[in-house]
Parts: sequence; C-alpha cells; structure tokens
Amino acid sequence: MNSRRFSSRLEGELQPSDSASNAPSRRTPSISHRTTPLTSRAYEKRTERTTTTARDTMHIRPRNQPSRLNEDKLANNYDSHTASPRLAQLDEKINQRTKAPQLLWKPSASLVEHSAAPLACRLSAPPLAASFPQAQSAPPLQGLSLMEQESAVLDDMLFVFMGFEGQYIHFTDAYNPSEENAKLVGPRFKIAHGLDPSLRDLASSMLDIATHYIAVEAFIDVRSREEFGSVNHALCASMRALLKNYLVLIAQMENQLLTNQAFTLHVLHLHVLPISNTLFQLYSLTQEISGKNETSEDGLDSDDENLGPVELELKYTNPKLSSTNNKIQKGGKLLGLLTERLSYFSGDPAARKILEGLLSDASKPYMAMLNQWLHRGTIQDPHGEFLIREQKTINRDRLDEDFTDTYWEKRYSVRYNEVPPQLEAVKDKVLLAGKYLNVVRECGGVDISKEIQDVPRTFEDPRFLTNISDAYAHANASLLDLLLTTHELPARLRSMKHYFFLDRSDFFSAFLYLAGSELRKNAKEVNVGKLQSLLDLVLRQPGSVASEDPYKEDIKIHMNDQNLTRFLMSVVHIQGMEEGEEILPQRSIKTDAEDAKSLTGFTALEFKYAVPFPLSLVISSKTVVRYQILFRYLFSLRHLENLLVTSWEDHNKVVSWTYRMKDPRVETWKRKAWTLRARMLNFVQSVMYYCTAEVIEPNWHSLMEKVGGKDKHGNPSSRTVDELMEDHVDFLDTCLKECMLMNPKLLKVREKLITCCFLFATYTPLLSRLLCSADKDFAGSEVAMKYLQELYPSARHPVPESHKTYDAKVFQKINEDLAKYEDNFNRHIKILLDALDYYAATETVALSRLCAQLSMASEKGGEARML
Amino acid sequence: MSPHQQIKASPNCGREIITVQAGQCGNSIGSQFWQQLCQEHGINQDGNLEEFATEGGDRKDVFFYQSDDTRYIPRAVLIDLEPRVIQGIQSGPYKNIYNPENFFVGKEGSGAGNNWGSGYAMGDSVQEEIFDIIDREVDGSDSLEGFMLLHSIAGGTGSGLGSCLLERMNDRYPKKLIQTYSVFPDTTAEDVVVYPYNSLLAMRKLTEHADSVVVLDNGALWRIAADRLHLQTASFAQTNQLVSTVMCASTTTLRYPGYMHNDLVGIVASLIPTPRCHFLMTSYTPFTGDRVEQAKTVRKTTVLDVMRRLLQPKNRMVSTVPSKSSCYISILNIIQGEADPAEVHKSLLRIRERSMANFIPWGPASIQVALTKSSPYMQTSHRVSGLMLANHTSISTLFKRIMAQYDKMRKRNVFLNEYKKTAPFADGFEEFDIARDVVTDLIKEYEEAETENYLNAATEPGATESSATS
Repeated sequence: MNSRRFSSRLEGELQPSDSASNAPSRRTPSISHRTTPLTSRAYEKRTERTTTTARDTMHIRPRNQPSRLNEDKLANNYDSHTASPRLAQLDEKINQRTKAPQLLWKPSASLVEHSAAPLACRLSAPPLAASFPQAQSAPPLQGLSLMEQESAVLDDMLFVFMGFEGQYIHFTDAYNPSEENAKLVGPRFKIAHGLDPSLRDLASSMLDIATHYIAVEAFIDVRSREEFGSVNHALCASMRALLKNYLVLIAQMENQLLTNQAFTLHVLHLHVLPISNTLFQLYSLTQEISGKNETSEDGLDSDDENLGPVELELKYTNPKLSSTNNKIQKGGKLLGLLTERLSYFSGDPAARKILEGLLSDASKPYMAMLNQWLHRGTIQDPHGEFLIREQKTINRDRLDEDFTDTYWEKRYSVRYNEVPPQLEAVKDKVLLAGKYLNVVRECGGVDISKEIQDVPRTFEDPRFLTNISDAYAHANASLLDLLLTTHELPARLRSMKHYFFLDRSDFFSAFLYLAGSELRKNAKEVNVGKLQSLLDLVLRQPGSVASEDPYKEDIKIHMNDQNLTRFLMSVVHIQGMEEGEEILPQRSIKTDAEDAKSLTGFTALEFKYAVPFPLSLVISSKTVVRYQILFRYLFSLRHLENLLVTSWEDHNKVVSWTYRMKDPRVETWKRKAWTLRARMLNFVQSVMYYCTAEVIEPNWHSLMEKVGGKDKHGNPSSRTVDELMEDHVDFLDTCLKECMLMNPKLLKVREKLITCCFLFATYTPLLSRLLCSADKDFAGSEVAMKYLQELYPSARHPVPESHKTYDAKVFQKINEDLAKYEDNFNRHIKILLDALDYYAATETVALSRLCAQLSMASEKGGEARML
Repeated sequence: MSPHQQIKASPNCGREIITVQAGQCGNSIGSQFWQQLCQEHGINQDGNLEEFATEGGDRKDVFFYQSDDTRYIPRAVLIDLEPRVIQGIQSGPYKNIYNPENFFVGKEGSGAGNNWGSGYAMGDSVQEEIFDIIDREVDGSDSLEGFMLLHSIAGGTGSGLGSCLLERMNDRYPKKLIQTYSVFPDTTAEDVVVYPYNSLLAMRKLTEHADSVVVLDNGALWRIAADRLHLQTASFAQTNQLVSTVMCASTTTLRYPGYMHNDLVGIVASLIPTPRCHFLMTSYTPFTGDRVEQAKTVRKTTVLDVMRRLLQPKNRMVSTVPSKSSCYISILNIIQGEADPAEVHKSLLRIRERSMANFIPWGPASIQVALTKSSPYMQTSHRVSGLMLANHTSISTLFKRIMAQYDKMRKRNVFLNEYKKTAPFADGFEEFDIARDVVTDLIKEYEEAETENYLNAATEPGATESSATS
C-alpha cells in the first residue's frame, strides 16, 4: 500500500546498503549493456515523480489497480514502475495494442466501513485480473524474448510481492479476495503460459512469499478487531513490525530494479530468500491460529501444520466448520499456541527468534492483567481473555442465602482451557492470590494507591514465577490475617460451638426452662418473637457463660418447617450430587401437611446465625445448614433426656410410684417400668456422650489446631484460606457422618428408638394416674386420694371415678403396654447395634465406640429379658 | 402471660441448689465445702472476685448469688442446735461470705445431746424459723433445682433435726430434688454410743424422703486418710477436706457447664434407676492433701489409671464388705482435667475386658463418663482426677451392720430412756419398729437387685392372683 512512501524514503539509503545493486559487474554483460542507456532517464523521471500528477491518468497501465481513489498515492507508484526503462517499452507496446478498448474497463474501488481494527486496510479488494477485458491484456509471453519476459516477470513479481496481481501472474480462479477466509489462507498464483521454464520455475518458487504476505496481512487486519482481545492485538502489532521490514525489502528491490541494470529474477530470489522464511513462519503461525479456531474441538490441532493450503482451503470453505467461528483463539490460548510452536521450533534459531519476539510482545498485555490481578485483586479484562473469569452478577450481598457457595466458588473461576502453559502449573495459585486479595480489598485492607512496581512485564522474565508465588503468599497471608486476627475467626467458631453444639449448655437449659411452655406448642403457633426475647434474656444473664460471648447478638431463633429426620432422609437419598447443592433444593421442598402438624416447637427450633463478611466466606450458609442439623439433632436428644428425667422425677416423687403396694405384681411391674426408663435414659445419654465427647469435641480440637495454623512443632503452617474453608466443611461433615446423620438405615432406626423413648416418657403422667387404680389396697386410699385431689384441683374437673376405684383391667392394660414398649425398645436397639456394628466395620470407624458403649449397656438387660 | 411479665419474673437463669447444713458435722463439712468452692471460683474471703478470676468459664450462680455490692454469697443455710461450730465459722477466715441471716442456732444452745428424738423434736419446734430462711432462699432463686443437705446421721442434730427438715422440705417442695451428703457412723469405733439408734431412725427418713443420698462413712474416711494421705491419726478437719473434695468434684459438671450433666437431676436420674436404691457411694482419686506434705507425691494419672483406681474398693468412701454377688447398679465417672475421649473409650473397653466392674444382670450396665474441665485457679500436680459416683448393692452391708448393732442394743433396751423423753417417742417405740422395717425392706431391695429375677420376682404369685381376681 505504502510502497510509494517506502520507495521514496528509502531509495537514498538503499544505494550504499545494497551491495548487489552496486555491483553491476556481477550481472550478465548482455543485460547490463542493454539497460545502461535507460538508467539516466529513470533518474530524471524519479525526480519529477512527486510533483507530477498529470501523467498519471495517461500512464495507467491496464492493471487491475484502483485508480479513482488515492490516485495520487497509487499513481505515483505506477509512475515509478512505468518509469522503469524496460517497462516503458513494454507499456508502449501495450498502449498501442489496447488503445481503443481502454475506456471500456473502469476498475473501481471504494472505502469499506471502519472495522474495529484501527489500522486495517479500508480499501475494498481490487478487481481481479480475470475480469480484465481480454483485449486489453498484456501481449502474450510467447511473443516476447527471454529478456523481455524476465523484465515483465520481475515487474510482476514486485506487484505480486505486495499482494497485487501482475500482468502475467494472476490469482488462481478459486481465489476470491472479498472472502475473508480465502484471504486468510492466501491466494495461489498462476503464471501465464509461455514463460520460459527457467524463469517460470524461479518465479513460482517465490510466489509462496506473496501468498504468505497476503495471508498474514489479512490475518493482521482481521485479528486487530476488537473482539480478538488485547493479546491478539499485541501479536498483530508485532507481526506488523515484521511485515514492515518485508516491505522495506521490497522497496529496496524496486530500487534495484529501477537502478541496477544487472538486477535479475535470480538476484531478486536471492534477496528475498531470507525474509521468505520469516514470512513462512508468520504464515504457518497464522494458519495454525486460524485453524485452531475451528478445529480445536476435533483434536486435530497438530495436524494443521501438515495440511497443504488446498486442504486448509477445503476446510474453510466447509460452511459447517466455519460456522463455529465463535471459538476464536485469544488470550491464554493464543499464548499457549505460541509457546507450543516455540518449543516445536526450538531447534530452528531463526524461527525461534521470530516466535520469541512475537510471544514476548503478545504476552505484555496479558502480564499487565496478571499483575493487576496478583497485586490488586482486580480484573481489567474487557475481552475475556484472562485466565480468571469474573462473574460480576454474583456479589456478596446474597451470601447469607447462598447455599452453594456461589460467591466464593463461582465469582472467580479459572478458564481451564485458556490457561497459557507458563501459568498452567500455578493457575490455582494465581486464582487464589487474586481471590484472596479481592476479599481483603473489599474489606479495605489493600492500599490501591500504590503503583505496581518492579514486576515482570513479559513471560520470559526470570522473576515470572517468583512474582506469582510472592503475590500468592502475600495475598494468602493477608487474608488469613484478616480472617483470623482482624475478624477473629476462632472466636467466631467458638461462639458457633456454644450455640449450635451447646458445649456450655447452661444458657440453653435456662432457655428451655423458660420457653418450655411455648415450645410445646405446634410449630406453627409458636411465638418466635417471644422465644427470641427469652433467648436474648438468657444470653444476657450475667451469670451465664454465654454472657461473655461477644457475638451473642448474632444468634436468632428460627422455626424450621420440616422434620429433621425426614429432611435428612431426603438429603441422604439424593445421590450423585454435590453435597452443597443437595441441600438447597431440599429446603424448598414441599412440606407435608402431616409433617407440619407433627412438628412442635421442640422439634422445629433452630438457630440462625448472622455472620458478617468476610467471615461468611468460611462460615457460609452451606456450613450453617450443617450446624443447624447438628444442633437440631443434639437438641432432640437433649429434649428427650429432659423428658426422661422428668419421668424419673415422677417415678421418684409421685406417690403412686413410691408407695409400696401390696400386690407384688404391681411392684414388679414398677421395677420393670423403672428399668425400661433407666435403659432409655442410658441410651440417650450414651448417644449424647458419644456425639459430644467422642465426635464433636475431638474433631473440633483438630479443627482448631488447623485454624490456629500451628503444625505439630508449633510453627505456623503454610495454609491457604481455601484449605481452611475445606477443613471447616470437613469437620462438619465428619461430625454429621459420625453422629449417624448421613446414613439412611441408622437414621431410621435411631428415629424409631427416639420415638419409642419419647412416647414412653410422655406416657408417664398417665401411668402415674392409672397406677392409682391398679392395686386393691392403694385404690381409694388416703394418700392416693390426696394425690389425685392435687392433680385435679378445680371443682369443675373433679377426679375421674375410674382413678378412685380398683380395676383389675387397668393393671392388665398397663402391663401389656409396658411389654409393648419393652419389646419395641429391645428390638430396635438390637437392630441399631447390628447396624452400628456393620457400619463401624465398613464405613465409619468411630461408630464402633458407640456400639461398644451401647452394647455394654444393653446386653445384660437384653439377656434378662430372654430368660 | 406476656413475655415481658415472664422476663421480669426471672432475672436469673439458674438451676440453683440450696445447701442446708445441719449439725456439727454438717457445718464442718459445709464450711470446708464453701471454702473450696470459693477457691475454685476465684472468690476471695470477702466474697469478691479475685483479680485473676476473669475468664473461668464457670457458673457461680448455682451455688452463689450476688448481693447488691456484687459480692458472691453462698446459697447456704447453716443450722445447729449448739453454737460451737457455727461460732467457729463466724470467726473463721470465710466468715464474711455468708449471709448473716442464714445462720440458725438453737436458742437453748444445748444441742440435741446425740439424741435423734430430741433433735427431731427441737427441729419440729423451730422449723418455722428455719423455713423462714429456706423460703427466703428459695424465693431468691428463679429455677431452683433442689436442696443439698449435709449432715451426719450418728448424732442428734444432724440426724434428728436433719430428718425433720428432710421430711418438711419434701412436703413443702415436693417437686424439688433433695440430695443429701450423709456421713454414716464408723461401725467399729464411734464416739456416740447410741449411734445405731440415731442412724436407723435417720435412715428411714433418708429412704423415704431423700431422692439421692451420698453415703460417706467416717471409718472409710479415716482409712483413706491413713492410706492416701499417710496420716496415722486424721483429724476431722482432714476427713472433712476429703468430703468437701468429693462434693466439689460431684458438682463440677454443674459449675463448669459442658455438653451434658448440667443439672443435678440429670446426674442423679442416670445413677438411680429404681427409686428405692438411691444410696450412692463415691471414690475419688488422686487425693492430694494440700496440708500434708507426704501426700503431695506426683503420680501417673492416665485416664485408665484413674478409672481403675476408682473401682478399687479401698478407694471407696464407704466401708462395705462386698460379697461375691454384689454388683454395681450404675456408675458415673466424672473425669476432670485433660482427658482424651479416645483414652476414656480405651479405658472403658479395658475395664470391660477385665471385668473389673460387675453390673446388675437386669438393667443398663455401663460406666457413664462425664468429662469436665477443672478450675483454672487451682494448681494441681496431676493431669487427670476422677470422681466415681456409684450405686452399688454392697452398700446394704453397711446398713446391715448398723441394723445388727441396733438389734443388739434394742434387745437389751439400753439408753432408751433418753428417747422416751422426746416427743416422737412419747407414745412408745413404734418409730423404731417402723424404721427397722423400712431399712429391712431397703436391704431386701438391694439384695434382690443382685439377682436376675429382680424384674420377674412376683410373676408367679401375681399370676395366681390375677387368675383369682379375674
């Protein structure tokens, strides 16, 4: 395009530098002889060239060059060509022959619309030589002498080198310059018939250069568009610089052609040979890049290099393949491709030098992004080419209802197939470094005003990896510090432990004492506000351990609307899903009407815990759900223990139980009832002891050791925040699993046992009354009546007659009932023991402890029943 | 009821326990107990918190309440019919912590003269005044859990007045738990000649009105003092120290709340499966007599060692003569200090393997464990210490011994004149006979508990009767 400028600027420089052109003696004598007289004329012409425009129209040769637009530029160019003495003769010949039809062919060119690439060529493709009227075409080569042929071909070659058709060298018919893909592959040329075989061979060997040049230039034009991203832009800029060198050379060649009599096709060939390699490299690179666009899915990537242009062409004309154009090579992929090529060509110093230069240039914008990310925690990536993807729509406002850790896991993620190989090994570090820094930044912990200094700018920098690991270490340390020190994560976790695991349950006992009447109601009728105020009251008690907790404000009462066991059953029955995901859909699952009815305040109560950012990253809602499950489980055990203890109180205090009845059957029955209650209490307390002392507490200690970041030798261990989060979830999952909450069979059996205990405990008050009429002597006695009077104090509800008198059937009934309870309890505890034994051996070793404890407690009782 | 009303009504969250100490022995033990509680909670002799006692993670309000000037005051009622011991407390180092209104000393100051009858009668006559104090304490606590009565059953005041109080408290607060720490007489060398009378009479009341009785006996205490503390002649002060150590240990789960056993009733309920067998025995290890140099030997205290020693009869604070068939009804080990749950589990397995503890054949048979922290303000040389609360059938041998001695004396009708003079025996000695029946039943209950037929004992006669009635 700008050859005029080149040639005019460079002709002065050319003379001393190009030894070939200054050595006419090396040319064949015949040629030098012939061209000598014309040289002076050429010099004259050139001096005028910049000023004359009048001759332009006259000297338009019937080439397929645009003439209306940029006449000046192009015309001068032609001018310089036509000024060539040898060509002038030729021109004259042509002019004579084509004078008449010259007016018929009016080639035109137009400006194309601005594309996103600022430096791209805006000229429409020139008309093809094929469309040139036959009549005006140059004289057939057959008619020319070898000399004339050579000069014509030389002239043509220069055009062709700059991407235009010559008089005798045309694009093949298949080539359509207006088609982008064809341009990217590059045109093939055909040489008109009749050229001397020696010239033809020489010329056709050089035509590849032109093909490459056109393709590379098209590539640059295309790739400079905005959507290709900054790495592509940088690569194109680097390529453009190389092409500039090429054009300079062509300009020198032109100068040679004009000045040097001894300039032959052969000399031209020798001159362009070195740069042809460069162009080939660029070309095959562009082909690979464009090829990868479309075939990256096919796994044929490496084959592209072996494909001939024809095959490539075939590939591009295939509409199915070209429709997948959205997978463009950019960013990390492009860098990866360059790197791969670099290693492929590492044995070829010339290619290597080129590729190294390209990679270095192309990686600069990427490095800028990387540094921004590593040292600031921000992403400036308008083209989406960085290895980290940021989802701006996910923000932390929704953290408290985010059951899948979307914020932490999805806001920033690695584009796994777009990681440059240089970063492949450290991509996780890169991700974490920026992610951590981001959190610290959001909490105001990063000084953004400071300029990023002294960081590597390219991939080749020896400090490249150190930079990343330093940044990572820094980010990790600052976030850990932020979490552990500034936001006191351990204290938070301890506070969670108070509330959810009831490790110092005095506050909770007091709460239950105060709120018992409210909690007995149906879950729907429970006054949450009242419970909340009671809880607040209890937590603020100066005497209670919880009053020292600084986070007691964050705890809120909540009523779950689903039965815990049913909820867990639905969770454990889902398989093949991510643990975090399964909980979310389950929570919104339809709640059975029956379920809602059976829920009392006791079974529905749970705590909500408000965790501020950034601690909510560690104590995410995903983990809070686990805490809640554990809490509800422990609470159900505790409630059951309370009920059984209450029935113990009845057994010890109520006169119908303590009175020594005359009927030995009743006394024996009482012993059985007491024993059953004792076994139930023992069971519940054993399970509680197991869950707390043997599961939660040891796991908790190992978690705290990890959180404290001290290894066995007391040194701060090098840990990451993600490891920390993982440990936390692991801790909860281990607890859930070891507390028998993640196994459907154990859940079921345990639920049955608990229900059995629950029913028996709640049956006790009725039993106390029924006992009054179970013994002949006791029924209607003074003590019995006194007790019943106290039980029914109001006159409106007098003591039922049935309680006052002896009834043999009553004993029969309670005896049968007790036998049923005993039977039920024994059966289920046996099932539980078997299941525990099995799962302790196969899945969760910790269960063996509970198994041992329970079997110790139950074996003798069970044996006794067998007797 | 609106929440606000309820809030106003309950400014404290408690499960409080009121300690009633009766008689010379009860008050001596009590004063030791309070002294140790104060030390464990970092409360100084004026009732104020020590400077260092900031983060104990403890609950003081179970046993203390705070006065207007934020001093900690024990929920203690100190009762005696003679002034000597109470005066000692009132002039002792911890005199200022008590509420002065909570002292009750009999007006005559003569004491009960080691006579259960006179103690009971005097208690009856002064119960109004005593219950004024107790009622005030009860009103001052929001969710009273129960009472702890400290007394001995050999003498007059602790035994007689204690029995009276027990009866009345049970009447007045039927829903509240009553636990007693009862010091039983040393059946081989007791100062009080009439102790079998007093003990038997008191044991009836303990059987009928207490929910849980922690039995300690002087003989065993002296023996332990001699063995463990290397004291040939232990003073009462030293045996009292043993008792107060046990009391403190048995209440650690209440005072240092953990996951479980945060209320007294929960502990007691797991120990007492059938209501009549509610006499508990204790062992504690390792004893370190702070005032006895020889006892300060550092020894290995692994959880297994502690649990093993707790099961050894020589460490029991009751002198019993276990027979082959006697067995544990229940055991709760309270382990204080740095106990690893895994170690506990291993120890339990080991104990089971070696059959170190025989259990009743008819009920839940396992050692329950409660892990608690120990006071951060007390320096101890051992890593782990343990208290065993156990319900063991061999306790009946102690009752039998007392009853045998009672029978011996009763046969000769010695010393009965003194009793005849007192109100309960004005109409004859029926009280003695009832008491003997009750204790006989109690012994029988324990003996039956050793057999496998405990739950099926009456099936045969029951079957015939039911067929007859139907």
